[in-house]
Amino acid sequence: MSENVKQSWSATRLPAFSQWWARSKAPTYAPDGPYLAALPALITGLLILLTLSGLVLAVYYNPSHPFASLQFIAWNVANGWLVRGFHATGTTILFGTIYLFLFRGIATRAYKAPGELAWFATVALYALLLLTAWLGQTLTGGGAAYWSLKNAAQAAGLLGGAPGAVATWFFGGPAGHGTLARLVVFHIALALLAFALLWLYRAAAKPAAPIATGAKPVAFFPYYIAQYFAAFAILALIFSVFLFFAPHFGENPLDLVAGSDLVVPTTITPPWYLVPLAAMSGLFTSPAGAIWVVVAALAVLFALPWLDRSGPRTRHGGWYRFFAVLLALDILGLSLAGAAGPSLITAILTILFTFWYFLHFLVLTPLVTALEAE
Amino acid sequence: MAEMLEHAEQIAEELISETKRDFLKILTAMSGLVGLGALAWPLVSALGPDADSAAAGQMIVDVAGIPENSAIRVVWQGLPVYIRKLTKQQMADNQFVVPSALPDPADYTSRVKPGYESYVVVVGLNTGTPCELEGNAPSDPRGPFDGWLCPCDGSVYDPLGRVRGGPAPRNLAIPRFTFLNAAQIQFG
Repeated sequence: MSENVKQSWSATRLPAFSQWWARSKAPTYAPDGPYLAALPALITGLLILLTLSGLVLAVYYNPSHPFASLQFIAWNVANGWLVRGFHATGTTILFGTIYLFLFRGIATRAYKAPGELAWFATVALYALLLLTAWLGQTLTGGGAAYWSLKNAAQAAGLLGGAPGAVATWFFGGPAGHGTLARLVVFHIALALLAFALLWLYRAAAKPAAPIATGAKPVAFFPYYIAQYFAAFAILALIFSVFLFFAPHFGENPLDLVAGSDLVVPTTITPPWYLVPLAAMSGLFTSPAGAIWVVVAALAVLFALPWLDRSGPRTRHGGWYRFFAVLLALDILGLSLAGAAGPSLITAILTILFTFWYFLHFLVLTPLVTALEAE
Repeated sequence: MAEMLEHAEQIAEELISETKRDFLKILTAMSGLVGLGALAWPLVSALGPDADSAAAGQMIVDVAGIPENSAIRVVWQGLPVYIRKLTKQQMADNQFVVPSALPDPADYTSRVKPGYESYVVVVGLNTGTPCELEGNAPSDPRGPFDGWLCPCDGSVYDPLGRVRGGPAPRNLAIPRFTFLNAAQIQFG
């Protein structure tokens, strides 16, 4: 009796919670959902971990002495090395899941109606996280990070017109004493914006989810909770392996020493998740060209719902799948060429892989989807 | 054939076994909680005091080198702390002072640690006008009780840090400390 009264008390005052609980127990899901459908939940979990570890780092981080304050965190703060490991490895695993999620979206044509908005949110999230992660890397004040920021702020000053004005506003002039302090604020603000995009994705993906048509639909609890748990457990295993055995994975070794005006690195290789786009932008010597090729690379990804000419009826064509895998290999090749550093052969390969990337989206995707359409 | 059927029945029975399922459910939830706890623990513990602050809060001072009839000044938690080694004469003079005759009554034993009665550890700030006291070196002005003297309002303290005269209302504060051995004290 008393329990009934208690339930109705909270249910009257906070109906959202009991409604959410009722929804998760309603049998509305198709029973054959794949394990990779848990990817958005994994991305959310990783973003929460990055936010919490980032908050702890922000307590001790000092933008006036970036490198020294990170050394202090690693050596003098209780478990500070582990918190920093959470943040660094969390970023690596987050981009691993984002790249897998993007590939899955392309391969399964998740971008098709009514999933366009969810796809737009995914690509926007990817772009936003790239910017946030780059800002985070510059905050370390390492040898490569220091010069990466200095060059970017300098290029911002060279840009004309509206992009130049925005870039100058963003950096507040050439990189100097106050720059890192403002970038800390942008890093945090953009990370919070990522949660808004995740919410947009979840809201837009719900109507696009496959409707349970089979004889026996299942409820989220307990059927998919168990599946999510398995997905999280596998992610935790991969996370631990990277955290304890490769804590500096994909990081420029120059970032292990403090940046200096007097030590100019010949090449600045960015963290691994930025390498494909950085390799494309490295083909251009002018800042405007370097920026526009990155914008174009993200724009063709964004435009996939229009580039796919197969019409409303989805059919998983074999050739389309083949080219999707080829695109993944192309981006892998682009990364390896970018990471190998400048030479004649990597320059040629980068041009080839960049050409294939745009060929895939602008020519092959419309052509193959039109040919394979009913 | 019959054996296989029997085996399949056994498996089916195990699958629908309620207690086994409950056990697995609890095991899964608990391992999940342990994982979350392992993730949360470093984040919580990192917000505690760092190694530098912890060491500064537990400062260790060597007192064996202090000559008789003089005091050293150390800074602990931003406060000037005076550590004074008394002479035999000063100990004898203050041993039998009647506490009720003092402005802020305190007997000898309440101002020193048992077993180390020749060391006085006090915060060297006057309790009236907050000025640092003079009288650490034997050549400093020390006032009529051979203790400390305030250069700002003229308050007088005896070698145990008890107020004896002047505007100051209270005895000098004693910081939290312990003797590790005859030669070292640790604050905090």
